[in-house]
Amino acid sequence: MSDLRKINIDGHEIEVEGAMTLIQACEVAGIEVPRFCYHERLSIAGNCRMCLVEVVGGPPKPAASCAMQVRDLRPGPEGQPPVVKTNSPMVKKAREGVMEFLLINHPLDCPICDQGGECDLQDQAMAYGVDFSRYREAKRAVDDLNLGPLVSTAMTRCISCTRCVRFTTEVAGITQMGQTGRGEDAEITSYLNQTLDSNLQGNIIDLCPVGALTSKPYAFTARPWELTKTESIDVMDALGSNIRVDTKGREVMRILPRNHDGVNEEWISDKTRFVWDGLRRQRLDRPYVRVDGKLKPTTWPEALSAAATAMKGKKLAGLIGDLVPVEAAFALKQLVEGQGGKVECRVDNARLPIGNRGAYVGTAAIEDIDDADMILLIGTNPRDEAPVLNARIRKAWTRGAEVALIGPVVDLTYDYYHAGTDRQTLAGMIADGVSDETRENKKSLVIVGQGALREADGLAVLAAAQKMAEISGSGLLVLHSAAGRVGAMDIGAVTEGGIEAAIDGAEVIYNLGADEVEIDAGAFVIYQGSHGDRGAHRADVILPGAAYTEENGLFVNTEGRPQLAMRAGFAPGEAKENWAILRALSAELGATLPFDSLAQLRQALVAEVPHLAQIDSVPANVAEALEQGPLGAASFRNAVDDFYLSNPIARASALMAELSAAAKARRAEKIAAE
Amino acid sequence: MGILNTLLRAVTWWNGSTLNTQLYTARKGKKVGEDSQGNVFYTNADDSQRWVMFNGEAEASRIDPEWHGWLHRTWDEPPTKRPLKHKAWEKPHQENLTGTPLAYAPAGSLRRDKPADRRDYEAWSPE
Repeated sequence: MSDLRKINIDGHEIEVEGAMTLIQACEVAGIEVPRFCYHERLSIAGNCRMCLVEVVGGPPKPAASCAMQVRDLRPGPEGQPPVVKTNSPMVKKAREGVMEFLLINHPLDCPICDQGGECDLQDQAMAYGVDFSRYREAKRAVDDLNLGPLVSTAMTRCISCTRCVRFTTEVAGITQMGQTGRGEDAEITSYLNQTLDSNLQGNIIDLCPVGALTSKPYAFTARPWELTKTESIDVMDALGSNIRVDTKGREVMRILPRNHDGVNEEWISDKTRFVWDGLRRQRLDRPYVRVDGKLKPTTWPEALSAAATAMKGKKLAGLIGDLVPVEAAFALKQLVEGQGGKVECRVDNARLPIGNRGAYVGTAAIEDIDDADMILLIGTNPRDEAPVLNARIRKAWTRGAEVALIGPVVDLTYDYYHAGTDRQTLAGMIADGVSDETRENKKSLVIVGQGALREADGLAVLAAAQKMAEISGSGLLVLHSAAGRVGAMDIGAVTEGGIEAAIDGAEVIYNLGADEVEIDAGAFVIYQGSHGDRGAHRADVILPGAAYTEENGLFVNTEGRPQLAMRAGFAPGEAKENWAILRALSAELGATLPFDSLAQLRQALVAEVPHLAQIDSVPANVAEALEQGPLGAASFRNAVDDFYLSNPIARASALMAELSAAAKARRAEKIAAE
Repeated sequence: MGILNTLLRAVTWWNGSTLNTQLYTARKGKKVGEDSQGNVFYTNADDSQRWVMFNGEAEASRIDPEWHGWLHRTWDEPPTKRPLKHKAWEKPHQENLTGTPLAYAPAGSLRRDKPADRRDYEAWSPE
């Protein structure tokens, strides 16, 4: 279906797809065209007029390059390729004119505006504008909106590019924002003064080319040029969104998304973006040892020797929490299994099969959602479990894909066919089979949530999902809810029989950041983690570790893609990197682990699990069919109860608590109104 | 007042009043009064000039509001004749301490003996 056309842009002759817009063709030719409203991942609005170019032989006026396709251009009289100019006097004058119009009503707020230094309008006014103003009239003023606790507004600065409106309606799937009024009275508003009800709303801060929408928690705390930027990986959900952590000193000031077409495109969820205030509160910054029933602060040598004394010769179990990087999980596995103990990473009781990567990761990649025609969701609410993934499913749905759900009815921001809520619906679907025609012609995808795999028949549900994928010829994607889970499964930090078998009869439990687990009285608990959450209160020895922005680590996302998270700052107080604590403890135990640096650890890790060396690639998994088992009769339950409070860092954040309360109130209100 | 001091006053203006001012004060100056710090205020015969001879450092902010008002012709009569009414809540006059070791420093400033403890995180405590 390719329709290649030749086009001449500023003397460069290139051949591009006819359906491409001129602005995209210019990008192919390596020519930058200024723009405000145009965005690659949103629909085309064509209302800022900044991307004007000259089309030679066309109408005698500049054309908006974002809204004109290459195939709309007429060739020259002798069939020469159409000529487009982006640096002619006409274009220069047009750009200066547009910029002058935009600046008529734009306030001179730059010194007090949070966007200062990373503002498209500022940059483009420098590059394409004129250095004076002919206007002496008063500027227009617009009332600010209350969009909730995340997005701060200064609507007088708005240049009406409508990117935020297009993002919220197209990607986030909410209908609260829009443009009202005409001409000078045109305003971006939220209808009926509603606040935004989406967990992707933070992205409109990045999209806004001016300072009309800025981050409320980050307001007036830093300037972009004084921040140290570190490219890292998010751990708030199992998607492994690519992020940039901006730090000042050792404080994380904000978190921004990075573009990765295979994972998060360029969006991140609000939990990912705004969780950083949780990195400052409730921190474990010194070791503690329980003396006479009370936790007392102590020194590292004392804490390590207390832990080693307790561990020596005892029946040992290691638990690996949700946010643990692969290196730390690997070190714990070596340490605990060296002492004859057992480790377990499936702390939420998920019945993931050991060693069968095709079943616990699945066979599909996140990118497969983009060209799927049918998507079946089993026991999952992707809007809470991975909001960015949900936006991707929504994108497929907008393109025409059909979505079906087995599980509780939830608002996914798009229409779906609700097949049923219980396991029998799935069994019925398998019994009904899939017609050959559908299997041949439609690309389909089965996505299984962790909620479906946590119950006693979890393995049978996974087997049924595999069967469903097999008979429909679709890929299987297991949607995890813990960032560290797939990595820990990959290194085999599991025990046959799950967490019950692992801690059964254990005298000493080494808890590496697992805060969602209830540990019965009796066992001696060594807790290693970054936040004083449930795990720390139950502990007998606390070893303070680094959080995800404070150490280099490897995380494997839900599709099985290993990615490297980088250290953005140092851990607070006396806290140390997680693998280093385990290495130090092993020396104290007299069973020194065979690595002295993270590099050596990674070498040992890769020697054992070679695919972890393939950073940022998704290894193809062979689907080993699981044995079909009896399915229960119960309805599916979703894995995430409260999106904003799903891990210790989020629970330490005051903002996440506020968002959680607001979401709860909103839900209650809805029920009362109905 | 040693010989060195006299010499300094002759060639510099920042070591007390200059020789010229002293000479002028001696010839034309009519003493009006003296404030609590010992600064002496003068005027000339037709009251076209008013000036002060500092007792010690020449620092304009040492002049209290009463004399300041007279010196700058906010009011005609000096406080010796017509004292300013003071409210009970008024604090005694203080000169500008900026640039001196006694200058104000915010709680977290390193110029304080014990700067307020600033932490970039809140530590967890078991209680």
